[in-house]
Amino acid sequence: MILLDYHNVVIEETLKQPIVGLEPAVLDMTVVDFDGVSYRISTPQSKNIIRFSMLMQCFKELIQWGAQEMLQKEYGAYILPQTESGYDFSLEFDLQKLPEDKEERETLVKKVSLIKRNLLAQPFERAFEQQAQYEAEEQTNPTPILMQIHYRDQETIYIQAQYDRVTVIFSTLFKEETDRIFGRVFLQEFVDARRRPAIQKAPQVLYSSKDPPLEIRHLTEPQNENVGYVTFVLFPRHFVEGEVREKTISQIQLFRDYLHYHIKCSKAYMHSRMRARVQAFLKVLNRAKPESPTVEKKTITGKTLVRA
Amino acid sequence: MSLRLPPVIMDNGTGYTKLGFAGNNVPSFVFPTVIATRDSVSTSTSGTALQSKPSISGNIASKRGIEDLDFFIGNDAILNSKTYGLHYPIRHGQIDNWDQMERFWEQSIFKYLRCEPEDHYFLLTEPPLNAPENREQTAEIMFESFNIQGLYIAVQAVLALAASWDSNKTKDFVLTGTVIDSGDGVTHVIPVAEGYVVGSSIKHIPIAGRDITYYVQQLLRDRNETSIPPEDSLKVAERIKEQFSYVCNDIVKEFKKYDQEGDKYFQKYHGIHSVTGQPYEVDVGFERFLGPEIFFNPEIASSDFLTPIPEVVDNVIQSCPIDTRRGLYKNIVLSGGSTMFKDFGKRLQRDIKRVVDARVKKSEELSGGTLKATAIDVNVISHKKQRYAVWYGGSLLGSLPEFYSYCHTKAEYEEHGPSICRHNRVFGSMN
Repeated sequence: MILLDYHNVVIEETLKQPIVGLEPAVLDMTVVDFDGVSYRISTPQSKNIIRFSMLMQCFKELIQWGAQEMLQKEYGAYILPQTESGYDFSLEFDLQKLPEDKEERETLVKKVSLIKRNLLAQPFERAFEQQAQYEAEEQTNPTPILMQIHYRDQETIYIQAQYDRVTVIFSTLFKEETDRIFGRVFLQEFVDARRRPAIQKAPQVLYSSKDPPLEIRHLTEPQNENVGYVTFVLFPRHFVEGEVREKTISQIQLFRDYLHYHIKCSKAYMHSRMRARVQAFLKVLNRAKPESPTVEKKTITGKTLVRA
Repeated sequence: MSLRLPPVIMDNGTGYTKLGFAGNNVPSFVFPTVIATRDSVSTSTSGTALQSKPSISGNIASKRGIEDLDFFIGNDAILNSKTYGLHYPIRHGQIDNWDQMERFWEQSIFKYLRCEPEDHYFLLTEPPLNAPENREQTAEIMFESFNIQGLYIAVQAVLALAASWDSNKTKDFVLTGTVIDSGDGVTHVIPVAEGYVVGSSIKHIPIAGRDITYYVQQLLRDRNETSIPPEDSLKVAERIKEQFSYVCNDIVKEFKKYDQEGDKYFQKYHGIHSVTGQPYEVDVGFERFLGPEIFFNPEIASSDFLTPIPEVVDNVIQSCPIDTRRGLYKNIVLSGGSTMFKDFGKRLQRDIKRVVDARVKKSEELSGGTLKATAIDVNVISHKKQRYAVWYGGSLLGSLPEFYSYCHTKAEYEEHGPSICRHNRVFGSMN
């Protein structure tokens, strides 16, 4: 598994039975997702009404960047006007009022499991549109807004549209010294891999630790040793409307988790290398043991003792 | 983080892994503890290359690409078993292959649970009598690879006890009791006193779910149920066991009942042939109660293990320290899929009670009527969460606010090293 899935498997599996299979069941479940998102799936009144609530740290910021329209568009019919207390957003499904078509219900489940991705996609969509607008109006020197999404404590995504490109900057926090080193090596690979002819069209990735990139240097942020900044420069060819754009968004919004996942995988790999090496050394050591000289043993009667 | 995310509960068993978050009633995922890797394939193809360089590290170092990410776990692993080699990283409840287990955890966390381990506390389980070195290894992987916030390693039997708190009428949180844990492969009887397992008294019974299935299969075969397709016969036996079986009070009476009012008791199993797609029917008769009966009368199925389960339980409790015995009789907890048979708890309670009462009576007689013993309370507790009792107990403990104070945190780990996880504080010292 190189790439992480975009959708939440637990949500999909849990909702499949009641929504696709139309088998009502009592549910009460807390589920989490990357970046501190948590969901609650419950059936508060009866088995036939499923409530789905979501809590997300940067929900308010995303609303600011137009997430409300997306929610209306994608989940409109199911939005619960009275959001469950303690959560940011609630959906409600009445099993008796679901679409007749089974496939339609399947897409509904898929859509719900993609809710985090869809929410985070909004600022990207907006930046891409803005870039198209600048290009159409030939504003070579626009004054774009810098969208900030504080998706975790002390970690932020910055998105800025320019005349010919969109810049996405991630700041990420490495709690461990080793993680930072692994992260640096891993991100260095991005730069090297780009030299290969097959992926020369990939977006440019820059990595800097400590010093924030110029775009966000004016923001007076607390400087932290352990923070790394990853900058993606997306050109219009990376977000051609349609499938390419959707895929770019899906992948880029999971980038932080992708990076941390691979740091952990690399560590696991290093550990297995180390275990194998220890085993090999142990073998060598065992070979080095002095052999006990084989002395012919005789019984008292003079016969040779043979050990079976 | 402004809010605390729920701890992750992972119960890695020999057969199945149960994954989920604390506070939930059921695990989010239950899948086989199996990992499918390319290893076996690559060794067979590069066999000649290996011979020139016989060291193990040579093999692993030759992997420069991303082969270490090319694996599946759980049900996906079984689906891919044609092209990948299947491995079971846990044997007899204990982790056998740490490389595979590390990768198994990696994918369970990132692919299935989708959580950032750095934000969560983890509760893992271990079998009774697990070596402390294993705990150290586990802690090393969890803290070093995954940077988790905190770790608690709980004994499965203790969690099974905790799972019964909900249904316990007394409503007190006792951690003394006897756990009967019966899964697919083996049944354990584990006495727990004040949260500590009495290691010397644990007994294993080689009768468990699989043996019942075999026995049911045998019964069906002996009766000439010809409609069952031979390749499915084990599966059919398993389904019959799960759907129709129950525990009876008295076999002789039960046989009589079946003979007199057969149509009330005989049932039919409907199956579909896996190859031809034709439906077929199987009569289900005496095996309904004979299957689970092998716990109570093992001689009907096996020739080498002959002690019935109530007697084993009694022996186990009798071998425990004398001051714990009353508590152990009072709280006999069932856990695992093979204890789910209807009325299993009732029958067990009756049989144990009989043995105990007989002994009390005998000792009263021997004392010549001068001593009068207080009756011993025998209680077998069954509850709805029995199947995933261990996981559910973990979920209960994990949702308690005190849970965090029992965990070993990352800071502590860094201060003291992995040896800190050799001992995990017992939840009994809670109040």
